[in-house]
Amino acid sequence: MNVFTRGIRNAFRNGIRTLSIVAILGLSIGLSLTMLVANKAVGNKIATVKSSIGNTISIAPAGVQGFEGGGNPLTQASVDTLKSLAHVSSISESINDRLTSSGDSSNTNLVSSIDAGSLGQRFGREGGFGGGFGGGASGSTAGQAQTFTIPVTATGVSDTSQYAGSAVKLTSGSQIDGTADKPVALIGKDLATKNNLTVGSTFTAYGSAITVSGIFDTGTSFSNNAVIFSLPTLQRLSSQVGDITSATATVDSISNMDSVTAAVKSKLGSTADVTSSKDQAANAIAPLDSVKTISVFSLVGAVVAGAVIILLTMVMVVRERKREIGVTKAIGGSNLSIISQFMVEALTLTILGAVVGLVIGVIGGQPVTKLLVSNSTTSATTTATPGQRGSFGGGSGFGGGQSTGGGGITRRGGFGGALGRNSAVKGISNIKTQVGPGILLDGFGAAIFIALVGSALAAGMIAKVRPSEVMRAE
Amino acid sequence: MIEVKHLVKTFKSGDTNVDATNNISFKVPDGQFASIIGRSGSGKSTLLSLLGALDKPTSGSIVIGGQDLTKLSDHELITYRCKAIGFVFQGYNLVPNLTALENVMLPMEFAKVSRAERKTRASELLEQVGLKDDKQLRKPGRLSGGEQQRVAIARALANKPKLILADEPTGNLDSATGKMIFDLLHKLSRSENTTIIVVTHDLAIAGKTDATFKLDDGKLVSK
Repeated sequence: MNVFTRGIRNAFRNGIRTLSIVAILGLSIGLSLTMLVANKAVGNKIATVKSSIGNTISIAPAGVQGFEGGGNPLTQASVDTLKSLAHVSSISESINDRLTSSGDSSNTNLVSSIDAGSLGQRFGREGGFGGGFGGGASGSTAGQAQTFTIPVTATGVSDTSQYAGSAVKLTSGSQIDGTADKPVALIGKDLATKNNLTVGSTFTAYGSAITVSGIFDTGTSFSNNAVIFSLPTLQRLSSQVGDITSATATVDSISNMDSVTAAVKSKLGSTADVTSSKDQAANAIAPLDSVKTISVFSLVGAVVAGAVIILLTMVMVVRERKREIGVTKAIGGSNLSIISQFMVEALTLTILGAVVGLVIGVIGGQPVTKLLVSNSTTSATTTATPGQRGSFGGGSGFGGGQSTGGGGITRRGGFGGALGRNSAVKGISNIKTQVGPGILLDGFGAAIFIALVGSALAAGMIAKVRPSEVMRAE
Repeated sequence: MIEVKHLVKTFKSGDTNVDATNNISFKVPDGQFASIIGRSGSGKSTLLSLLGALDKPTSGSIVIGGQDLTKLSDHELITYRCKAIGFVFQGYNLVPNLTALENVMLPMEFAKVSRAERKTRASELLEQVGLKDDKQLRKPGRLSGGEQQRVAIARALANKPKLILADEPTGNLDSATGKMIFDLLHKLSRSENTTIIVVTHDLAIAGKTDATFKLDDGKLVSK
């Protein structure tokens, strides 16, 4: 029997009380661990989002947003000058166009894999775009009711390994060279199925026979209704040689984002809208930041609550055992040995609470994190109907631009930029929690902290107990 | 030899000072069985606290075995208390979740006696006070009042103290058990050559001790 065994045995003097304290402490530590798990999971997610989208700068012609707005395309020559800027690792360029198989402006034999549906019909009725591509009346007046067909998106990219913000996932066939002008293309899975195309098959675009080099799958109906050409091929076929409708500059470090963004703006002047992904990343992770803040406050609150619980418990225990403490001092017990014994008792209760809390943390970590994240990101994310992306097919039409090329499928910036960020934003609520040794150590560290803080006041009270008072009380 | 000289202990009670012990002086030779008697509030327990190094006097000195307790630091007093003094309380004051054996072992643990040695000595002491075998492994709640007081006496003897201070050791016991406990203390003072000072209300018990000191209002009125 020594200080440790006495302390441990004292923790079990009153079974019901021990059970109650362990249960309450367990809840408190469980909540702490749950918040810790949430905090780490969200922190990891933020780091992932930042690392995946945090070091790119999107460049689009001024005045263009998607297939809306107006203005002039960028020139490849002007975009190429950006390659010489300090800290720019690479520049990927793209050009966009649309392929349609109906009406006067028919330029392909590909049939769209997306049915217009009521949304497409509405967009077609409301906007000039619908008339132009769907109804066969090129440049027709906005608002005319005609049968609308969703066009196929054609994209020419200098880096064909990237599409829709992530690596191109080929389901069959092989990649194409983004810098070579050859009559080959990658086509979306849905489009291939709709048109009975396989690798090696040919289709017609802009009056030329194009061979299918590979079939890709992005996972969305809209993006699978697309054809990827090399940049020079689509520039030539669509008579946009030298034009660029979007570019993405990759910066070597996130710390250089601001200076490079400023340099790009200075270089391109008013001809381009330049957007740093740092700002967009900040917007994307803002809901996660709030979850992180909530989890930190909850974590601190739960740890403090645990410390207060054990503090009050130990104060109560010391008051109860004041006579015993006095007698122990009278028979030779030092303050240190008695305080140590009470600290071991507090530690025993806290560790038991930590074990219960750990179970709660492991079970509750994932659902609580999901709940917190989904509540915080509800306002930041939207769910897309298959086949629809943004205001495709309608709205205000192309405006007065010379080129039909917009900025990309969705918003400003085109395939390599905005769509990628959009995917990242959509994935924000998809958070995986993990309870590893680090969390366990943190949990037990918190338990020891709670025990130490909780027994500090009790220790002070123990030191003040005078054994002579015990004699007097007799 | 215990030598108390001009011992004064003053407590503050509101604005007034109360002398719990007032200029007390006496001597108790080694191995003597002495008693302190007096009415409630006469200063008996205060005197016992001072003799037991649980409290410091306002003035005066207490010399036990040539060592002046009033000159010891707090840390030295703890060590002194642990090794030189044993206490027996009216209410036994055993640790409820320790067995009789563990209760007796406790002061030896504070005196840093090895585990094996303290277990052997605790068992011997308990046998000496009449508690054998399974009763040594019982917790206080499963022992009678007399048995608990025997455990308390064994605990007081654990570190072979020079002095045992007993505050009303028979106060909570029936007369037969009280007599038994008193006889046990008497026997131990003889066999262990330990000085025992007992505070008691019972004049019959006081009459059987080697010396009796009577206190009244903090003053020693008779020896």
